[in-house]
Amino acid sequence: MQNNLEHYDLKKILLYTIVFTGVSLVAANLFGKDVASTVSLSLYVPVTMALVILSIILSKRFGIRGDHGKAWFMFSIFAVLWFIAERVALYYNLKLGEEPFPSEADAFWLAGYPFLFAFMILYLRPVKNSITKKMLFIALAISIASLAPILYITQHQNMDVDWSEFAIAVAYPIGDAIILIPAIIGVMLFFRGKVNFLWSLMCIAIIAEMIADTGFLIVSMDNSYYEGHPVDIFFIWYYIIFSFGVYHHITIFRDRRKDPYKNIQELR
Amino acid sequence: MDVTTDQIKKALVAVSIEHVLFDMGTPVFDEVTRALHDKYNCYIPDCFDHPEYLKEVLKELYGNSYKNIVKSVHKQLDEFADQQPIEEFLKAISE
Repeated sequence: MQNNLEHYDLKKILLYTIVFTGVSLVAANLFGKDVASTVSLSLYVPVTMALVILSIILSKRFGIRGDHGKAWFMFSIFAVLWFIAERVALYYNLKLGEEPFPSEADAFWLAGYPFLFAFMILYLRPVKNSITKKMLFIALAISIASLAPILYITQHQNMDVDWSEFAIAVAYPIGDAIILIPAIIGVMLFFRGKVNFLWSLMCIAIIAEMIADTGFLIVSMDNSYYEGHPVDIFFIWYYIIFSFGVYHHITIFRDRRKDPYKNIQELR
Repeated sequence: MDVTTDQIKKALVAVSIEHVLFDMGTPVFDEVTRALHDKYNCYIPDCFDHPEYLKEVLKELYGNSYKNIVKSVHKQLDEFADQQPIEEFLKAISE
């Protein structure tokens, strides 16, 4: 009962956080690019830091033992790599007043994808025999369908664009589509279970990231992107949604080593 | 101290369950034991007599895929599956 209440409260806080960050960035854009940039950068710092702290807490709790322990270790590496990427981007924004694309930050972002993929594979490993061909087909179909906007953009591509830049920009939605496959399988496998909250949020977060990456690709092609652009809302939501998923997992797998036994006689 | 065959089998089942849960992660084992205690006032060895308790706890935590975790326990006990109390436990937990 108490758990259900906590779960309901967590959903409500997540919703408020999403609305608050979305409205803040849209409102900031009404006051100009400088204000939007300041608001965006000040939102990125806490949300990325929260994900790193929460993932390290969970990784420490699980240790390196067991499939889930290894999975959360991989997740922590992913969170740290993306945190570094965001800080590199922040450094360029503060030093140059703009974010070059591509930059060193892209190397950290792209390096994060294999670790996130490894996290999902390791987490699903103990229940891998439950994965049916039908599940795999559904996940693949959704993943491929999610690439449709990228295919459309590629076909209507302006030939003057720098192809190396374009390839890096396209790598993000492709990476998202790949990690969407185990995320969808996870939702189907853990349906009705407590851990499904994390997997559902991961799916939603990846979809938000796909929208953001596709949006970024479109606006960067016509050079209209600036720090704090409304497309950044989806990037910020990605970190928030992921953080709430990880936090929920922390509440399920609490550290109980210090819990006293209510009745020591029961152990005998 | 005399130990009965049933007690040995009970211990064997408990070790197998613990092995599967620890393979997933120590906090998974902790959470399952906590849920068993809070909901049914029992510990892992008691699942030998009440496999349905373990089934319910795993279902609540891992939803549809609890069956696969049960299968892993089954695999651990495969070579003893022909012994009656273990056979009954495996049958009950797999239903």
